[in-house]
Amino acid sequence: MSMGRDGIAGLVLLAISLVLLVQSFQLPSLPIVPVGPGFYPAIVLSFMAAASALLVLQDLAKGRALSAVGADEAPRRNYRLVVIAFVIVGAYVALLPLLGFRVATVLFVAVLQAALGQPRTARQWAVLAAVAVGTTAVSYFIFERYLLVLLPRGAWTGF
Amino acid sequence: MLDLLWHGLVNIAQWKYMLPLFAGTFIGVIGGSLPGVTITMTVIVVLPFTYGLDPLAGLAAMTGVYVGGSTGGLIACCLLGIPGSPASIATTFDGFPMSRNGEPGRAIWLGVWASVWGGLLGALFLVFLTGPLAAIALEFGPWEYFSLFVLAMAMVAGLTESSLLKGLISTAIGLLITVVGHDPIGSVPRFTFGSEFIGGGFPFLPVLIGIFAFAQIMTDLEKLNLTRGQTMESLVGVKLERFSHLKVNLEIFKQPFLLAWATIVGLIIGILPAIGGSASSVMAYDQAKKFSKTPQLFGKGHPEGIIASEASNNANVSGSLMTIMAFGIPGDAVTAVMLGAMTIHGIQSGPLFISQNPDLAYGIYAAYILAHPCMLLICVVLMPLMLRVTSVRMAVLAPVVLVLCVVGAYALNNTMQSVYVLLLFGVIGYVLVKLGFPLAPLILGLILGDQIEINLVRAIMTDPDPLLFLTRPISGVLLLAAVASVGLAIWQHLRHQYRVVEEEPDF
Repeated sequence: MSMGRDGIAGLVLLAISLVLLVQSFQLPSLPIVPVGPGFYPAIVLSFMAAASALLVLQDLAKGRALSAVGADEAPRRNYRLVVIAFVIVGAYVALLPLLGFRVATVLFVAVLQAALGQPRTARQWAVLAAVAVGTTAVSYFIFERYLLVLLPRGAWTGF
Repeated sequence: MLDLLWHGLVNIAQWKYMLPLFAGTFIGVIGGSLPGVTITMTVIVVLPFTYGLDPLAGLAAMTGVYVGGSTGGLIACCLLGIPGSPASIATTFDGFPMSRNGEPGRAIWLGVWASVWGGLLGALFLVFLTGPLAAIALEFGPWEYFSLFVLAMAMVAGLTESSLLKGLISTAIGLLITVVGHDPIGSVPRFTFGSEFIGGGFPFLPVLIGIFAFAQIMTDLEKLNLTRGQTMESLVGVKLERFSHLKVNLEIFKQPFLLAWATIVGLIIGILPAIGGSASSVMAYDQAKKFSKTPQLFGKGHPEGIIASEASNNANVSGSLMTIMAFGIPGDAVTAVMLGAMTIHGIQSGPLFISQNPDLAYGIYAAYILAHPCMLLICVVLMPLMLRVTSVRMAVLAPVVLVLCVVGAYALNNTMQSVYVLLLFGVIGYVLVKLGFPLAPLILGLILGDQIEINLVRAIMTDPDPLLFLTRPISGVLLLAAVASVGLAIWQHLRHQYRVVEEEPDF
């Protein structure tokens, strides 16, 4: 028995909804209200569990052969780049409260640009640096000066 | 009513509103014209700038983005043959061929003028129909609201082409996200696992930004560096030929029926919740082709195709604004962001919105109307710049958009908490897209979740008889329509079972 992408996704969602469904039955009920806090989540979760189970069944019923053909025709995708981008964004979010908005943002915009398209000429490097510094400076200036939004200060840098 | 509208127009004409409106329209046109940057993303980028403004100024800016974005998309359509934003997808069908035939100026300006006229025609409906719609909505009890929301979700899930089941699951995930945190009646924490982090539930805007902006940028990055250098035909940097604005306008008004019909199609699609610009543009194009005397010319640079697509996607904006103002339900992701912004300012949306906040309501009408001349002015003055802007690289754009997303989440309440939520839902959204789950139903579930629960519980508290949902006439009809729309979707899927299509996610 083989299972496709949809089947696995369905199983995961089914498991999540069942776990939460059990939890929703354990929620306390309130004295004055006819239906407790678990009433509505239980409806949503039952629906989700049923739909996920159907998705698993649908996937099992569908022959594997069909989807294998589809996979070949799918256009090539650059998943490495997506992973790199997610890692860089994750690092930015983690460093933001430590380095402060200004330092972290200059680094983030520069690094992500370089990761997405490696600059080759001096002019491209200059554009990269200008975009990094410019984005940070303009957004900092507008938000802090005009819109009274305080952006994160760095715990390490104090800047 | 007309004096209220006049008052609204005079009000918006002040500098403190005109400036945000103009700036919003400008950013909208630019954002719309950049392929890979959708109108939703543009409005998300503008969002943090509106936190500090007064509510009407912020809403005027967002309305401007919406109108500008719906038009801006056509430039990339005509020059690159790819839509600058999903809302102008059908403009490529005839806009690009016409440009290739040596008439890029005619193609672009037909689109711009059709947008202006379609949008302004839509404004008539917006101004005169929203009030009566809200009056109907006022008659609704919790039963009717509940059923209306169920119908909205059933329709959106049914519209997803790939799989009805996935659409329904996606809706459920959206609803589930709103359940996390304290329950609305007794404040009992639900599914928080004792964590402080999600104790208060997931804030709406960071989730929305994560799912729409983040997930979409990541999907775009997959294609980066792969398509470049291939045989992509581009007319960027082309000089527009000499043409006359008068002639272009005559060409549009030669077929008043086409313009009116495209406007109405766009308007209706706009009113329906959570299906947006791309559907209206494609549907109006399709209708134009059906009614045309010369259907064989479509796809070869036929002006009718451009007019239909562009008039309808701007009219779509007025339809979406109608839904949000009359019912408090966002017609699409852009109005969902607007709704989020209203909530920040403590404005209650719903059928009482117009009567309780007439200044704001007529201000939005006025902003919508005035956004069109602003957009036209921007196009006239800045066309040479915009012909180049479409070639800005994704490598430069993506980091800037991501920074503004992070600021938008952070500035919501000045905590990193919202930024973590943003990142979490960025990952979730991307994974769901990759697994083939449509995002539109999820967002609708997310938007309506709280309201559905509140109305459901309220209905049961008023009268515990569950049959009332079926026996109250309006509620019963709405639920019946919901069942019918799911049934119709199942029937269509069975008919097209063997047609395998890889669907682009609709952001």
